[in-house]
Amino acid sequence: MTMALDALSDVPDEALLIAYGNGDRDAARALTLRMTPRVLGYAARVLGDRAEAEDVAQEAMLRLWRQAPKWRQGEAKVTTWLYRVVANLCTDRLRKGRGQDLDSVPEPEDEAPGAEAGLQEAARAQALEEALQALPDRQRQAVILRHLEGFSNPEIAEVMDIGVEAVESLTARGKRALAASLGGRRAELGYDDG
Amino acid sequence: MAEKAEMKPLGADDLDALFEAARTRTAEPTAALFERVLADAEAEMPAAPPVASPVAPAPRRGLAARLLSAVGGWPAATGLVAAAATGVFIGMAAPSAVETLSGGYVSGTTGYGMEDLMVSYAGLMGSGG
Repeated sequence: MTMALDALSDVPDEALLIAYGNGDRDAARALTLRMTPRVLGYAARVLGDRAEAEDVAQEAMLRLWRQAPKWRQGEAKVTTWLYRVVANLCTDRLRKGRGQDLDSVPEPEDEAPGAEAGLQEAARAQALEEALQALPDRQRQAVILRHLEGFSNPEIAEVMDIGVEAVESLTARGKRALAASLGGRRAELGYDDG
Repeated sequence: MAEKAEMKPLGADDLDALFEAARTRTAEPTAALFERVLADAEAEMPAAPPVASPVAPAPRRGLAARLLSAVGGWPAATGLVAAAATGVFIGMAAPSAVETLSGGYVSGTTGYGMEDLMVSYAGLMGSGG
């Protein structure tokens, strides 16, 4: 089985999805291992809640399985399609139940991370995640897609179902807001005042 | 004054460093999540198409069928048969109209000889002299 999955590591997403649609179990395993971490990571960043992100990831993958027999080759990238599903699921959840964003943001694990680079990196990542949670939902999604998930602006436009100019505007405003909110934590994050 | 300096927005490079730090920190799926996703995949998996049975070879066609096909099928064959039958009928019945046309040339006993159909040297010489 391992050999089969290794052999599938170079197979494009779409080919795996079509193989799954034809009843290929190895393709199902390969897609699960390849896509689940990505959708979970994205959902966790957008929602800021691990348990909710797991539910969203499972639901998004379920929709992918159901889409497989109807998949139209060459029409969309599998990752773009999947991220779009995740984005919509996250938006639905955020609309339903997010009254207390800031309260639900976990506190930094260690107030004094010390001099070790690893700890400082963790503190920086934590600080960014907290600042991201304070952004408006659409800005947060656009910034995460652009700067953490590595999508291009046209891809983000497709995921978020908006125009490229709107994407540029959202990411620019999101970054400005992040820079402003994190400016106050400069010293904590190990940046000089200058 | 120090407070003002602290509130200065983070620079672009510093923000990029934060993004870099956050990129390395992603939520890893648990084994239980992988199992749930895979269970869904198995439950939703379309049935594999039945194993393709070897394609039955086309029935071998007989000589008559292949000949028939070579001449263009039944319509063409019907025309050929009709033409052949007409030829046989003409040959056997020898209608008088055909005899009139061909008898003189073909019978060979009472008609013209080959030399009768050729220009004679005598004639040529006579007209030339």
